Amino acid sequence: MNVRKVRNAALQTLLAAVAAAWLLPYAWMLLTSLKTLPEIVEAPAAPLPAGVSFEAYRAVFEALPVARYFFNTTLMALLIAALQILVALPAAYALSKLRFRGRGLALALIVATLIVPAQVRFVPVFSMLSEWRLLNTMAALVLPFGVSAFGTFLLRQALLGVPNDLVEAARVDGASEWRIVYSLLPPLLKPSLTAFFLFSFVYHWNDYFWPLVMTTDDSVRTVPVGIALLREQGTGVRWHVVMAGNVVLSLPALAVFVVAQRHILRAAVARWG
Amino acid sequence: MIRDGGLRIPAAARARTDVRAPWSRRRLLTAAAACSGALACGRERRDGRATASLWFTYGGRNREVLLELVAKFNASKPRYFIDAVYQGDYFEGLAKLRTALYARVAPTLSHVIGEVVPYLAEAGVLEALDGLPGAETLDVVPELGQARSWIGGDERPLVALPFNRSTPIAYLNGDIFARAGLAAPQSWSELRETARALTQRNAGRVTRYGFSCPISWWFWVAMVGQAGGAVIEPDGEVSLGGEAGVEALEFWQTLVSRDGSMRPPPGRDYNAWEQTNQDFLAGRAAMIWTSTAFLKYLEDNARFPVVAAALPRERRFAVPTGGTHWVMPRGASAPERAAAWEFLRFVHATEQVIHWSTSTGYMPVTRQAVQRLEASGYYRTHPNDRVAYDQLEVAMPWPWSTELFRVQREIVQPRLESAVLSRENARALLHEARLLARSSG
Amino acid sequence: MNPTRPFHPYLMLLPTALLLAVFFFYPLFVAAKTSLTRWDLLTPASYVGLSHYAELVHSGELFELFGRTLVFSVIVVLGAGGAGLALAVALDRPGRFPAFCRSAVFSAYVVSWVSVALLWLWVLDAQAGVLNRTLAAAGLHPPDWLGDPRWALFALAGVTIWKITGYATVLFLAGLQDVPPSVLEAAALDGASPMARFRRITWPLLGPTTAFVTITSLILSFQVFDVVRVMTQGGPVRSTTLMVYAIYEEVFMNLRVGRASALVVAFFTALMLLTSLELWIFSKRRAL
Repeated sequence: MNVRKVRNAALQTLLAAVAAAWLLPYAWMLLTSLKTLPEIVEAPAAPLPAGVSFEAYRAVFEALPVARYFFNTTLMALLIAALQILVALPAAYALSKLRFRGRGLALALIVATLIVPAQVRFVPVFSMLSEWRLLNTMAALVLPFGVSAFGTFLLRQALLGVPNDLVEAARVDGASEWRIVYSLLPPLLKPSLTAFFLFSFVYHWNDYFWPLVMTTDDSVRTVPVGIALLREQGTGVRWHVVMAGNVVLSLPALAVFVVAQRHILRAAVARWG
Repeated sequence: MIRDGGLRIPAAARARTDVRAPWSRRRLLTAAAACSGALACGRERRDGRATASLWFTYGGRNREVLLELVAKFNASKPRYFIDAVYQGDYFEGLAKLRTALYARVAPTLSHVIGEVVPYLAEAGVLEALDGLPGAETLDVVPELGQARSWIGGDERPLVALPFNRSTPIAYLNGDIFARAGLAAPQSWSELRETARALTQRNAGRVTRYGFSCPISWWFWVAMVGQAGGAVIEPDGEVSLGGEAGVEALEFWQTLVSRDGSMRPPPGRDYNAWEQTNQDFLAGRAAMIWTSTAFLKYLEDNARFPVVAAALPRERRFAVPTGGTHWVMPRGASAPERAAAWEFLRFVHATEQVIHWSTSTGYMPVTRQAVQRLEASGYYRTHPNDRVAYDQLEVAMPWPWSTELFRVQREIVQPRLESAVLSRENARALLHEARLLARSSG
Repeated sequence: MNPTRPFHPYLMLLPTALLLAVFFFYPLFVAAKTSLTRWDLLTPASYVGLSHYAELVHSGELFELFGRTLVFSVIVVLGAGGAGLALAVALDRPGRFPAFCRSAVFSAYVVSWVSVALLWLWVLDAQAGVLNRTLAAAGLHPPDWLGDPRWALFALAGVTIWKITGYATVLFLAGLQDVPPSVLEAAALDGASPMARFRRITWPLLGPTTAFVTITSLILSFQVFDVVRVMTQGGPVRSTTLMVYAIYEEVFMNLRVGRASALVVAFFTALMLLTSLELWIFSKRRAL
């Protein structure tokens, strides 16, 4: 019994240490953002701010068009997720429900794109897009991500679980194939679609690489790119401002996570299915 | 940043309307139009005002001063408007500018470091400024303008106008120097002795360095000059200073590794500059070399008197000039160019030159501004402000070489870091660099 | 099921096919073509044959880049995989506190890379960072994590592990659900120690999960860019110049698009090899 108690206590301590290792950095970010510059210069590691100051947040909102970046980022992530779903639904339907020549090959090609990440594609895509005069537009941020191999695969797996009879019945009722794909199936795929949407949305909302490379203009800049610019060089990094920007950047992602944790975890594990 | 909620089509969208159509364009354009339509709202709109975009790369205090100037311009010129966008530090901003030039989404106006101007000019992407109204009356200090910033700069079409120009200077912690009874070192050997004398150790660990300087090409070029060499010979040969180059690099190695009296600040590019400033302000370095650009920032934030001094000599006094020049990328419309040019004339007016210079530490770039500062007695009360300007007497012009930036960024800079931080052989590294520079040229 | 019209499946795959052709396969072809030229974006390209490849191999740069990236990836895979497995075993129990810990660890995976990079840039700051201040107060002499060429790569690996361990944990937790409790209980009744139960029962059953975690974190760490870009810009002395950052730097800083494309081709080849190697191991394992 005693051994059990000791082991339990050890376990609790371990868990507390784990939680601390992951939560303390956030706390540090938040605390720093509430300090003032003289405080940070004077005693950078002082645990608590002398008082709560929102000066750093004011500086962030003054230095950057934060609302515009939020709008851009959200719009971009929404458009990508929507486009991915629109494109993936018929593809997944064809790949799971319809018999046709080349089905295996099509599936293989789609899955193969998992090994062609943005970092491999960006050089040629950049010059293509600039030739088409599309740099600095939403199109440059959205279109290259129109196909999600993960999403197509996920929806295909989910559709395999949908009985064929349902589709047959709809056909008998005179529904067109497009009607089946875009209005009969989505309600049945709700959990998978939710997971896919959230995963895609959060991933692209957070993305730094692609918007960094494809934009130069404030009018299409996204939050991660903008916030990274706060780390200005030259005359003293103003850590309280950088951390305030960082709070602004990470809070939405954390909030979505807290609210929709179940779905996001589902999506993370679903890659697997 | 919604200021009045009006509509303004972004420059990128405008540029898109006049090009040939590749095969999948219609599809893409439909989507793009939908998207940029949704985006266009919220950009600032200035009815009927000719608007120029300005990309800038100043951080911190210098950024604030520039934005003040822009705001003042926008408030005082009802026909023009400057739309200023921050693009990161010099190198990031330059990367953005060059890719934007290729993609034809370049801003109307930007500023770039001197080393890259010949490359951009020879690539034919810069607007000539000679013929613009009032260009001849700008009264630029020749050493700071195109005329003498580059060898033979006055024989070429004018493409660059000076704005934030600097030289490297030494900053001394006045308290530490006064207590030690030392003065600013005048030669390399004095620098070495002073650095050693001011370095403090506690239990074998250095608690204060006598000297610190970013391991950056700019300071190395200064030392090559002081040792009697030139990085690129007048005939264009990339000699990297020959023996003088090795001496300069080995001098750093001596201070860092043998004497332990110089801290090579960590980080790359401007991270290292940043760290140097912080070390100086916190009293962890008694003396630093950095740009005159940080003069006001250091004076304002130091809790000790800051003393600026000229760099020392080995065989002679010498410094390169630094900072950036205004350039106007090709491809802007006539109204955009007009707005940009109006802004350039505005910032070259004496009042603005003085404001910029005295609030940052950069040098005043017109002779009239210098004369006015002289006459008003400003330099008597602010001797530090004068140091960089006086060094112009020994300033070395850059060669007009398209390879200069590449030599700096790809070939020399990484090897300076290797030599000092990883203690590799200076002579071998520079030899290798010379071979590379020749083969890539 | 048979399609109502024979062309229907193809029509439904058309958008996917178009986007893949334009944004995935065609770019690979363009990269291969560009890698044979010298091009700075601003002046016309000139054909140089295979000289970029020759130069990359000859100068040792390619080898150095791959070596560095591989070292980084191995540390990250072992670190995140090991920590993920340990955490999964520790957290695989009912109760609010373990659930809270699971969320805490996974949250780092949801937050953006930029955010994580900025955060750790501040924590790891040599002079003012809270980590070094704390260590110094404890009488230690901590190194300059990001400024010392001997430490910087490890510091970035540590940050990456912090970021993705939550993902590995969640996957291992899912894997643990496939281990039947009855078998473990029976083994316990037979007197098998917890360690023995883990080694004999849990670990073999986690095989597919382990393989999957390894593949994904390997590919992920091969593509790391944001932390490098935000925290070290590849320095000091190129010690953190990983593959993707090198490509980025060649294109945007050095304007050597041809050379960058050669790196892209090499990088893609490596990714393909890695993936097929992993799949091969994976399928062999499953066959056993």
